[in-house]
Amino acid sequence: MSIDLKNVDYVYDSGEPFEYFALRGISLHIDDGAFVGIVGRTGSGKSTLVEHLNGLLFSTRGDVIVDDEIVRNERTVLAKVRRRVGIVFQYPEDQFFAETIFEEVAFGCRNYGFSKEQVDESVHKAMSTVGLDSERFLSLSPFQLSGGEQRRVAIASVIAMGQKYIILDEPTAGLDSGSKLAVLAELESLRQTANVTVILVSHNMDEVAEFCKQVVVLDGGTVAFQGSTDAFFRDAGLVDRTGLELPQSYRLARALKECGSTLTVNECSTDRMLDSLRLCVSDLGGA
Amino acid sequence: MALSRSFVLGQHYPGTSVVHRSGALVKLVSTIALMIGVFVATKTVQYIPIAFFLVVGIGVSRIPLRFFARGLKPILFLIVLTVVVQIFFTPGTPVWQFWFVRVTREGLGLAGFILCRLVLLTLVSVLLTASTSPIELTDAISDLLKPLSHIGVPSAEIALVMSIAMRFVPTILEETERIIRAQVSRGARIGEGSLVVRMKSFIPILIPLFVSSFRRADDLAVAMEARGFRVGSPRTRYHARHFQSFDAFILLGTAAALSGVILWRLFL
Repeated sequence: MSIDLKNVDYVYDSGEPFEYFALRGISLHIDDGAFVGIVGRTGSGKSTLVEHLNGLLFSTRGDVIVDDEIVRNERTVLAKVRRRVGIVFQYPEDQFFAETIFEEVAFGCRNYGFSKEQVDESVHKAMSTVGLDSERFLSLSPFQLSGGEQRRVAIASVIAMGQKYIILDEPTAGLDSGSKLAVLAELESLRQTANVTVILVSHNMDEVAEFCKQVVVLDGGTVAFQGSTDAFFRDAGLVDRTGLELPQSYRLARALKECGSTLTVNECSTDRMLDSLRLCVSDLGGA
Repeated sequence: MALSRSFVLGQHYPGTSVVHRSGALVKLVSTIALMIGVFVATKTVQYIPIAFFLVVGIGVSRIPLRFFARGLKPILFLIVLTVVVQIFFTPGTPVWQFWFVRVTREGLGLAGFILCRLVLLTLVSVLLTASTSPIELTDAISDLLKPLSHIGVPSAEIALVMSIAMRFVPTILEETERIIRAQVSRGARIGEGSLVVRMKSFIPILIPLFVSSFRRADDLAVAMEARGFRVGSPRTRYHARHFQSFDAFILLGTAAALSGVILWRLFL
């Protein structure tokens, strides 16, 4: 089971003189249980692509296939697809409407006809996944929380539905650095414990390098790269051509290499980079 | 996206023609005068001066006729209904009869008269809104209301409220789409089921919309005050406009068309 896109085009004003290809010939494969990053400069088609995956938009040409189901504008198909693919949009706390956090998180579960016990269980589980104490929070109003807490409740309101694929569009935008890392770590643990596929749309390359094993790079509505995140960031020319930035760790590694240093660092994450650097430096000190 | 595309706002068709560049206040006054003229006329032929002026205006504006046809579409039903009623239910000399259905000469005449009246009224207002941006139009309305400020009507504030409201219509439509997408992704079914269920399904859209609108209003108020706005203080305009020669042409043409109708009605 997986998400596959086959030669997908999405055209605004198709056939008109001002037709505009938002997506052009996109072919993709996203494995179950992966943590995939979708990156690209502003206007490269990331959000348009993501909205194809749960049937908010439909391709002009080509097929979007979610677990053998071709996404079409038919009620039964859409119900099935949306039951499997959840999206946390940018600034998801803007969608809050309920009087209590419990009601907010339970909204999706109720829409999918969960029984009362299932709703209770899903809400508690989702709250603990995003690191919020059910006892303390569930009876509060979602509007009286801090920004970081609101973001977590919004994420919980999607993951409570127990979908197989969770797409997050810039989930860490506007959060302080501590909350950023915590939110992403919670998603990683969700992926490991519940075998949920996480698709992360992000502009923050440090995040992508640290959490996404695979990456899809969009440029001008086409796929510029698809594969291992490490391979992408090692190709500094491609990173530059697609309008992206190298993560800090890869920049340091490059700089060390360029000045012929014998120091080597682990690029995969900032923490590991610091660890490997510490190791190297203590080796030097010992020598 | 779909919502804001299908929703043609204020029907503005940007351009650089003389009609577009002439003053909004002049056009607004002219439109009102022409509408008065339309109602002054008592016979179809008396519409000729207004129709002539309007045809010249439409031609000079270089706005495609398709655009005017689209403006007529919303009132098509009203036009057809009134014309049909006039044709079949006016007493007079019959020209065609079948069973109890009777078409009279007077009915046909009246139908033509009403048809011309509705079409002229619509086309005049479409030409105004097509050639004038909503912001220019609100400025013109505020100019028109200005004399009322002497008797305590807050005309400047009314104009400000109107232009802020217009400015935020596209923003709020976009926001609505964003919220609908988010709630649909959470399994909400909008516009399905019984009336009660349908009404309930709008709550998760309306409440976030209100919350964000209040927040936006708050931000806007702070931003305006930070840039020196005070209620009741005199304001200048960024786009100061001066009377130009073609403004005079429009006013003269309007006066000619209006007096033509009045004279025709009085003396012919």
